[in-house]
Amino acid sequence: MKFTSRPAAVLAGLSLAAMALAGCSEEGGGGSAAAASGSCDPADVKLVGQVHNESNPYEASWLDGGDAFAESVDLTQERLTYDGDSTRQQEQISQLLAGDTDCLVMNILPNGDSDTAPIVEGAQEAGAYLVTQWNKPADLDVTEYDQWLSHITYNGIESGKQIGDALAEAIGGSGGIIALQGILDTGAAKDRFAGLEESLAANPDVELLDDQTANFSRAEALEVTKTLLTKHGDDIKGIWAANDDMALGALEALQQAGRTDVAVVGIDAVPDALTAIEDGTMTATVSSDGPWQGGIGLAIGYCVATGELSVDDIADEDRAWYAEQFLIEQDNVADFSAPATDESDFDCDNVFSRSQGPIS
Amino acid sequence: MTTDLIKEADVKAPAPVHALEVRGLVKHYPGVKALDGVDLVVRQHEVLGLAGENGAGKSTLLKALVGLVRPDAGEIWVRGEKVRIKSVVDAAEHGIGMVFQEQSLVPNLTAAENIVLGSEGRGVRRGVYRWDAMRRLAQEQLDKIGSHIDPLARTDTLSFADRQMVEIAKVLRIEQRTSHPPVIILDEPTSVLESKEIETLFTQVRRLREFASVIFVSHRLDEVLDVCDRVCVLRGGESVGEVAAAGAAPGDLHRMMIGSTGSEDHYHDTAQRSEKTLRPMLQVRGLSGPTFRDVDLDVHAGEVVAIVGVHGSGREDVCRALFGAVPTTAGEVTLDGEKLDLSSTRAACAAGVGYVPAERKIEGMVGPMSVADNMTLTKQKARCTGPLVMPQKQASLVDAWITRLSIRTPNRGTAIQRLSGGNQQKVVLARWLVAGDIRLLLLDHPTRGLDIGARSEVYRLMRELADSGVATVLLADSLEEAIGMADRILVMSDGRATKEVACPSGGKPTPLDLVKEMV
Amino acid sequence: MTSPAEDVDVVAARPRPRRGVSFRDAGPPVALVVMFGVFSALSADFRTIGNVQNIMDTAAVLAVVTCGITFVLLMGSIDLSAPGVMGASALAVALLVANNRNDNDLGIIGVLVAILLAAALGCLSGLALVLLKVPSFMTTLGVSAIGLGVATLMFAGVQPNITDAMIESWAVDRFLGFSYLTWIAATCVLLGWSIQRYTRLGRYAFAIGGAEEVLSLSGVKVAPYKVAAFTLAGSFYGLAGVMVTSQLGAGLVQAGKGYDFAAITAAVVGGTLLTGGRGGILHSTVGVLLVTVLTNGLVQVGVSPYWQGGVQGLIVVAAVAAAVLPQRRRNQVTK
Repeated sequence: MKFTSRPAAVLAGLSLAAMALAGCSEEGGGGSAAAASGSCDPADVKLVGQVHNESNPYEASWLDGGDAFAESVDLTQERLTYDGDSTRQQEQISQLLAGDTDCLVMNILPNGDSDTAPIVEGAQEAGAYLVTQWNKPADLDVTEYDQWLSHITYNGIESGKQIGDALAEAIGGSGGIIALQGILDTGAAKDRFAGLEESLAANPDVELLDDQTANFSRAEALEVTKTLLTKHGDDIKGIWAANDDMALGALEALQQAGRTDVAVVGIDAVPDALTAIEDGTMTATVSSDGPWQGGIGLAIGYCVATGELSVDDIADEDRAWYAEQFLIEQDNVADFSAPATDESDFDCDNVFSRSQGPIS
Repeated sequence: MTTDLIKEADVKAPAPVHALEVRGLVKHYPGVKALDGVDLVVRQHEVLGLAGENGAGKSTLLKALVGLVRPDAGEIWVRGEKVRIKSVVDAAEHGIGMVFQEQSLVPNLTAAENIVLGSEGRGVRRGVYRWDAMRRLAQEQLDKIGSHIDPLARTDTLSFADRQMVEIAKVLRIEQRTSHPPVIILDEPTSVLESKEIETLFTQVRRLREFASVIFVSHRLDEVLDVCDRVCVLRGGESVGEVAAAGAAPGDLHRMMIGSTGSEDHYHDTAQRSEKTLRPMLQVRGLSGPTFRDVDLDVHAGEVVAIVGVHGSGREDVCRALFGAVPTTAGEVTLDGEKLDLSSTRAACAAGVGYVPAERKIEGMVGPMSVADNMTLTKQKARCTGPLVMPQKQASLVDAWITRLSIRTPNRGTAIQRLSGGNQQKVVLARWLVAGDIRLLLLDHPTRGLDIGARSEVYRLMRELADSGVATVLLADSLEEAIGMADRILVMSDGRATKEVACPSGGKPTPLDLVKEMV
Repeated sequence: MTSPAEDVDVVAARPRPRRGVSFRDAGPPVALVVMFGVFSALSADFRTIGNVQNIMDTAAVLAVVTCGITFVLLMGSIDLSAPGVMGASALAVALLVANNRNDNDLGIIGVLVAILLAAALGCLSGLALVLLKVPSFMTTLGVSAIGLGVATLMFAGVQPNITDAMIESWAVDRFLGFSYLTWIAATCVLLGWSIQRYTRLGRYAFAIGGAEEVLSLSGVKVAPYKVAAFTLAGSFYGLAGVMVTSQLGAGLVQAGKGYDFAAITAAVVGGTLLTGGRGGILHSTVGVLLVTVLTNGLVQVGVSPYWQGGVQGLIVVAAVAAAVLPQRRRNQVTK
């Protein structure tokens, strides 16, 4: 009895699943039809922002920026975090896409390059509006999709070079520096270090004494810097760090070693780094403007969903682009100390105003 | 609470009641009546022997006495008082302690800690160890049995015999909990000891009698009669009688245990073949390894060759080396004319070499797996088609062997660890019989821990195998066994083969002849 | 491996009873000395007093975490809760002492509360293990997640930076050439060793790893000791979280990231086996120094950062293999 009923149950289950799948894709088809016209009632739009975790200030400010935008259009943003776990990110997204997706707008920070493709395919299938930031494999072309509205990232070479130059200037154009790299196999770490190398080429008297990885981590940067300080001693005039967390770790190491003559630069403009720049203990950082990132992805999606902007009207060069970043030093740090968004940045006519050109 | 040894004199006065009495104890397991109304009396200051074949219910009875088994019916009386024993601690409160067959000491603690474990008393104050006090406590216990073990030595660095002493010292701690002389249970205490160590143990047991009652269990009937005052015999979960040890012979006990006279032809002597095919199955030339050098050995098809020697003679390693389990440094071994690869046990298996290890429970079987799976562990082909296990094929094969070897098991799916020792060993042996293409069988103490009945059956099996042309190398449990079973005996001493003694049916040497060669 | 299998060999060899340190335990310290010698020969920067101080300071946090985890490993359990517990205690202490987020200024009391919180989380691991009979691997992983959750709630988007002079001074001020953190770690090692040697908790942790069933047969209830060992481990993690906060000057959710496996690696390299019952605090501490010297030495010698990860792994595996070499037997089962 058991044996006859089990295959039957399996069959029934499978056909149910198949029906559900068919239903889904049908719905999805309807969604993409809507995409061209974009006819959602502004009140029906559902906004979702997803980042690694809220336990770092940068990503927390990103989600805050999303909230600010949502408030400006009388909506709320659903804040999602996945703890840097690819599987969890995909699960959260499939759950979203299993619901009502007609007016769903997602501003997503993919965990890594390889996580982008499935998210894009999912959104395309379900007809949800998607903007991604930071991570995208080079061969994945945004213009081949009509639900993936835009991909925004920053030119890491540029930021690495900007702070490299600022560091060279701070140490008077000559002397030894050390570099703290990020996680070595990430694009961000590679690009930023390439930027430093460009800067070094332009400043021949600055010598790179040592480069080590501290994996973007404050604690690791502290240990590595301590070790390098014992190794190179007073030869070190400056420390180049591929992000602010590592720069802050290096600052701790300098403080513990009683060194006050070393210039430190980083990237990301986290609040503590801004404070340090204000105090004069840190030299420079680069801001990608987290709150703006949190808002802009939702803004682009919102504009398309409500029909104010059509996917066809977005220029190809605005489908995957470098956004503007800002070098912050002591003289302009006050402008960035209180992270805030400017509503005019999110006007549908204005959403691409910070473009520094298409991703080559 | 605590009793000073000096008080023993008072307690020793004729006791009006028995130290321990068991009335009509019953314990049923699914399919098995382990205990079927056992009665037992332990008097004050006596050593009571408990004898019975494997499966007679000895273990169950002892476990019931220390609270590890809850009996279905029956009563336990301690010093005239009916008690319920629910745990080892309960048992200790009533003054009953047991030295377990599988030694139960924590190997990585000191002897002192093991002795006081669970009742540290003044050895620990508010969770903090006071090593001095602990050492003194342990020393007190060790002094009681006159042992000179260093209390602060790590237990796993002690010899088996010393560990046994530690166990006895530990059990004697129950005196701290009761004001009466304790009852100490020794379950197969001699099975892992050498003869000299056994002598020491017996001295201790006799000393114990001065201030305690002892229940002594052993499968060696001569030992039981030697050390006990009285012997109680169990059969099939029932008490079938008791004898005073003085004047009784092992044969008398044996008769009670199996219900008839012990077999005259214990070693199946008549089955020993007189004329041999002179085809040498195993040829060993100049074999050297970690503990042996230059060993030569020939075993013909159908022949049983026993290797004897004292501890350190290297015979165990020779045996294991032939199975590829101990590395060799030099020498040549051929099996049926072909060179035998000694680099791994796998190669040995493939060449038709079977090995029955001494440590049956650890190396010989996979405890939780079924009888059937254990039996077919080596010979996967017999039950498989490709990588798939064919249950029907396995079942019919296994059932045939269960019947043929009369293995007592509820069914072939029973976990092997639930069988008695003799039946476990039969399954292990059957593994090589199932394989069918076995040519050389290495038996490392195949009858260790088995009772007479089970031994006899193992011997019969060995004869059958020899008849079928298998060459056998035997490391016997006793010299008698070696002499009884072997066609030839190789004597080893200090890693060298020193002498070969012919041992044909009807012309057997005496143990004394062999001992002369061994030392 | 169970002991009876070894007994066969023991009887044949009949070793003398021994008390002190055995040859088997000498592997890791010898490896440490050798490694130190090699790096000293290769790099002049390595053999400076300053660098030795640096190595000790760097080893401090890992040493404290490893002290805690050793008690769990001795029992044959495993503990992956360090990242969560350390994160929670780091945030707790950062918010309780003088900081930039609120007006608290509890000083040393704040430190104690943070350690107490960590101990509670450790206790939770232990309770889940003995009450729900869930393997420690799972319970501690769960508790780590709980700890990270608690830490994230306390973090609330703004990094708390500490301004408490005492805690900041721990990482900066020195006594006899070593930072206070190093002295705290040394005290922890001493404390851990005393617990292991002189308390029932420590000895029973050994016994549980050696033969748990024997304890039950002897009428000892092991559950409370298991819970206590996890609680103790939790408090060590808590202190380590405070130490990281002192080093970084801020309470980070990720304060304990990677410390779980780093500590297990250090303990195993030092000779505290995952099977339980072997090794101890001193073994583990040697392991901590081994791992730290290795990391430091590779940087000092100038091995490319792209190679360091691989080289480090290789040397650790080689060190463990060398350490267990004397105990290896043919046909040994390794799981």
